[in-house]
Amino acid sequence: MTAQEVRLCGLLLQEHFGEVVEKVGTHLLKSGAQNLRTIIHETGLSVDLVKKSLCVLVQHGATTFSSGRKGPGSPTEYHTSCDRILRILRYPRYIYTAKTLYGDTGELIIEELLQRGHTTMSSTVKTVADRLTQNMAEGRTMDYTEVSLTFSKLVETHFLQRCPPLPGVGNKDSSAPSETPATPGTPAAPVNTAPPTPESFPECYKVPSVTLIGRGKRQLASEDGEEQRSAKRAKMDPETHGDEGIYWQVNFERFHLHFRDQTIISAVANKLDQTSSEIVRTMLRMSEVTTSPMATCTKPLSANEIFRSLPPSYNILRPILDQYLTLLVDDPMEFVGKAGESGGGMFVVNLHRALANLARATLESVVQERFGSRSARIFRLLLRKRHLEQKQVEDFAMIPAKEAKDMLYTLLSQNLVQLQEIPKTPDYAPSRTFYLYTVNQLPTARMLLQNCYKTVANLIERRLFETKESKRLLEKSQRIEAILASLQASGAEPEQLTEVEEMITAPEKQQLDTLRLHINKLDSAENQVDETIFLLESYINSTNASS
Amino acid sequence: MEGTRTNQRAPSAPHPEPEATSVRASFRIKELCQQFPHGITDQVIQNDMPHLEPQQRAMAINKLLSLGQLDLLRNSAGLLYRLKDSQSTSKMKGSDNQEKLVYQIIEDAGNKGIWSRDIRFKSNLPLTEINKILKNLESKKLIKAVKSVAASKKKVYMLYNLQPDRSVTGGAWYSDQDFESEFVEVLNQQCFKFLQSKAEAARDSKQSPMVQRNSSFATSHEVWKYICELGISKVDLSMDDIETILNTLIYDGKVEMTVIAAKEGTVGSVDGQMKLYRGVNAIIQPTGLVKTPCGLCPVFDDCHEGGEISPSTCIYMSEWLDF
Repeated sequence: MTAQEVRLCGLLLQEHFGEVVEKVGTHLLKSGAQNLRTIIHETGLSVDLVKKSLCVLVQHGATTFSSGRKGPGSPTEYHTSCDRILRILRYPRYIYTAKTLYGDTGELIIEELLQRGHTTMSSTVKTVADRLTQNMAEGRTMDYTEVSLTFSKLVETHFLQRCPPLPGVGNKDSSAPSETPATPGTPAAPVNTAPPTPESFPECYKVPSVTLIGRGKRQLASEDGEEQRSAKRAKMDPETHGDEGIYWQVNFERFHLHFRDQTIISAVANKLDQTSSEIVRTMLRMSEVTTSPMATCTKPLSANEIFRSLPPSYNILRPILDQYLTLLVDDPMEFVGKAGESGGGMFVVNLHRALANLARATLESVVQERFGSRSARIFRLLLRKRHLEQKQVEDFAMIPAKEAKDMLYTLLSQNLVQLQEIPKTPDYAPSRTFYLYTVNQLPTARMLLQNCYKTVANLIERRLFETKESKRLLEKSQRIEAILASLQASGAEPEQLTEVEEMITAPEKQQLDTLRLHINKLDSAENQVDETIFLLESYINSTNASS
Repeated sequence: MEGTRTNQRAPSAPHPEPEATSVRASFRIKELCQQFPHGITDQVIQNDMPHLEPQQRAMAINKLLSLGQLDLLRNSAGLLYRLKDSQSTSKMKGSDNQEKLVYQIIEDAGNKGIWSRDIRFKSNLPLTEINKILKNLESKKLIKAVKSVAASKKKVYMLYNLQPDRSVTGGAWYSDQDFESEFVEVLNQQCFKFLQSKAEAARDSKQSPMVQRNSSFATSHEVWKYICELGISKVDLSMDDIETILNTLIYDGKVEMTVIAAKEGTVGSVDGQMKLYRGVNAIIQPTGLVKTPCGLCPVFDDCHEGGEISPSTCIYMSEWLDF
């Protein structure tokens, strides 16, 4: 938990949950696991507020609790970790992915779950159906079955998972409303959920390894596809649907695997051509559920299997496919490797190596944009040749000595390049020591990741600053919009409307537009930096797993 | 050269000898030297003229040495005598021994040249003498000074008619001790364009992927020929030079290289293998971090909220937002 991470988490918590939660959250981040009394004492907030903030944090999975250090009898301790809070940055990306894969329904389901943290299936389905109905044309309504179908599809592909069952001491305050107010025009087709057959839940872990828990697809199959009672009454009474206590959450890891696959496919498309990327996409799709998240490479797939699973629109002949596979294997980037000869050749996608290559390309691109293409040449040269003396750097890179020296020293001062001393004599006399320049990929990636966190925090702060500057103007425009809306609803005449509209002067309008532009730019920049964060984080995690 | 020059004289004889014998002996020794151009040892002379006493032999040899017609060398086996070629003999007429010595040292250095301090070490002469002799020799147009590219203040001396070695002048990339960066840049771009157009032609040909990839490759020999035909280079470039240029393209990330085995006879193969190059595209777009001003900010480390440089007051951000 570095200072930059804590700062960013604080900003995110403040934006999404408010100041009180932010105070409690950052305090927990900085001081580790603590019990309730200590938190109350050190933050100076009232018991009530602290309790509510902790509930919010637990609901969203940012905080976990466990029995205290001294054993089962001592008060529970609460522990917050940065990772879950930093995911908040990525919410737009998750929602967008769900939209591309499962349409509007999927998008709304994921949005609901992200906003509420943990909810039951029934409440999600109801809320989403209501929202969809509101946006549809008059007279049409959204059927519950459709929504639950999408929900079950999401679970089947592991995008959603069950929350792990909590130990008895847990005080889960689910904000999931099991009572939904009725909306007119919704056909009541409640999902009858039979009580779930007892799944073989493993022991609940203090740090839930969510890969084991939450594969509820079998249960869902029995819950779903039930008889849909179509009731004629519009009002929905709060009824139990049989799935009380089964809470669902978004499986972030699965989304991350999806993003990783997307990046690899687009990298192959950039480097080779469209057909090769389609082949890699097929391979990755086939290994979606069979590969563990931390695997170095996918399970071997035979060329026959790949041929059968290719999308029919591509019309690739078998020998051509073999040629493409050979080309993919021979490529220096080593995205695809050959694992054997049976079945026409067994092929794997080298995930860790692909991530390392992508991380290296990211580092190179940062150096190139920041320092110029000649410094990037020196950087790539050092990445390839590992250790070089200054004279050798000048010779290989074909850059005049003075300029090469300058660039090397700049890179060194920014800590992108390190110096390794090799002494010839036991006293490290400078005239008798070799000084070799080198680049270490992993530490540099970590450093860049921290820079990314700081950048995002800077962008958020700038956005808040800009909003604060124009607070007066924004409030005025909001007031005027409210007046307009009420006037329109009550059927005012056009002259009154224009009169109200003119209350905002033209320069003010322009200022508002500029402000909107700025805020959009800052928002989209945050998302772009988040892409870099994702790549670097995946690379660093992959090296952790293998080491 | 087999041995190193020594400046010793052969062991001198204690008794004077009749003139005729020594003249005949000198003549015979000269003939022997001509017979064995690599040099003869004492043993050879003794075998040839067994009747000659060692003292007479030594006197004959000394006479030839002082006349400057014989070279005295030392190798691991012992002393060697070699005939000095007449041309250099004529050159040194009128110079004294010290100049001859310095000239010999410079000649030894071949085309790498030798630094004045090294001349001093080898000859054990004081610096002022060295400088005088060097000026003398330069005015006689026997030696010349070449500025070294490695250390710009250093001057190395070599014989007048020799071509300086590549390590001194820096090879094709240096002209007058200056690194020609524009020349290198131009070559860089030309090679890249050639490889890129080849790759595009292969891609457009729409053949099977294997053929496509193989035809997008170019051997280093092909690139060399193309550059020579282009005629943008004033100096002759060798294939090694082109390969160094292609290597810089690899470090730019624009080109990749493979090595294949080739038959010895094929054009352009070196030691049974050929290097193939082809143009490639980058695998990712410029990453998200560099699309923000913070990613490129020179004062990134000094920026924090509430300080003089902070996100709220950042001028780079203001410019970027108004762009």
